Amino acid sequence: RTYHSTTHPPPPGPFTQAETTLLTTALTTHVPNHGFTLESLHLAARSLSLLDISPSFLGPAPLARLIHFHLYTARTSSLPSLASQHADLLQGLPIPEKVELLTWLRLKQNEPIIQHWQQALAVMAQPSHVPTAVKELAMLADEVYYLAGDKSVDPSWYTKRGALSGIYVAAELFMTTDKSEGFQETRRFLRRRLQEAEEVGGVVKSVGEWVGFTASAGVNVLRSKGVRI
Amino acid sequence: MASSRPLLRTARQLTTSQFRHISTTPSPPSPPPDLNTPPPPPKKKLKPLTPQQSSLLSSFLRVNQAGELAATLIYTAQTPPILAREPHLRPLMKHMYDQEADHLRVFNSLIATHRVRPTALYPLWSVLATGLGWSTAVMGKEAAMACTEAVETEIGGHYNAQIRKLLEMVTEWEREGYDVGEEFTELIKTLRRIRDEELEHLDHAVEHDAQKAEPHWLLTGVIRAGCRGAIWVSERV
Repeated sequence: RTYHSTTHPPPPGPFTQAETTLLTTALTTHVPNHGFTLESLHLAARSLSLLDISPSFLGPAPLARLIHFHLYTARTSSLPSLASQHADLLQGLPIPEKVELLTWLRLKQNEPIIQHWQQALAVMAQPSHVPTAVKELAMLADEVYYLAGDKSVDPSWYTKRGALSGIYVAAELFMTTDKSEGFQETRRFLRRRLQEAEEVGGVVKSVGEWVGFTASAGVNVLRSKGVRI
Repeated sequence: MASSRPLLRTARQLTTSQFRHISTTPSPPSPPPDLNTPPPPPKKKLKPLTPQQSSLLSSFLRVNQAGELAATLIYTAQTPPILAREPHLRPLMKHMYDQEADHLRVFNSLIATHRVRPTALYPLWSVLATGLGWSTAVMGKEAAMACTEAVETEIGGHYNAQIRKLLEMVTEWEREGYDVGEEFTELIKTLRRIRDEELEHLDHAVEHDAQKAEPHWLLTGVIRAGCRGAIWVSERV
């Protein structure tokens, strides 16, 4: 993660103004009905009174760009604005529960297009698009912890975000086949995985503490016996 | 007056020139300025950071945090063996440790505020720093002081390079007509203060017979090379 200035305006994102207009229209109006296909992009171009050929300015892989746009906007604009909307809810919760709520809010962003999401994941699993997808996932985990107010700057920074990335991927995949009301099963799945991760984290931390205390106690005992160490 | 050289105005000069303007220039039909409420601060024109600048700043903060972590662990490991032989050094060791702990706190909070990734080799640096501190302390007070001298020499040069780079960035912004916010003036001020305290530690180490360590050239050479390597790695990983 690179330096994020608290006062300077943010640098421009990876999408130009023209791309943003086209992709937003495609994502909100056409993808829920037609999926992540060129059809959605052409319909979006037409509805904006552009030529049908316009999506070609998205580059050689327009579908991957569309999916990347969804991941990018869900992470950078939808999630922070949802977090501020739910600020009163988030207020009194401890950090693990805030993380759960924020991850759930992000998962819900996939609701309108969930029936096409497996197809989208297949596109992003192609070797040329994997780096983008992995980077977005890592930045999402960081964003969730940042919005949850986590201020740790030791190795747990890595373990927390790594664990959350894995859990998020699993929950997203689960959600694509979940037919329950309001995706409750996905929410329960998410909660179970997060609790497991917390338990494992707790065990590792306890073992580490024990080893540390035993070692320093041993050294101090030897010093008290006169061993010059 | 400052308004004749707008491009070189800093934020502080901007505010004071505005105050001067309000109090000395007669303003005919406009209502008298309300002296109870301060004038609104001028809107600052801040330039967005380029990706290179962002990654440079993040590598600076990452390396500084790693360095201060190593410093606190070195002092923690050095203190018991040294004090066993020379108990009169307790106040000095405590003073240096307290300053390093304060530096670590500063960088921890900067890293959290600016969402910088901490170094991935944190556990490795912890082990190496503790080992270095303990081994030099066991070799004797002079060796421990030579270790401090070597580390602080490297660190002093390293902070100087960072401050220089930040000042370059800031003058570039001023030359382009942008304002420099408090974020960066405070950062430069903090780095200067920390660099001065590190150089003070260097002076203390030399005062306490760092030069008398046997073999001085080997100890300082190895430790300085190790520091440079650790700095290089932490900037990237």
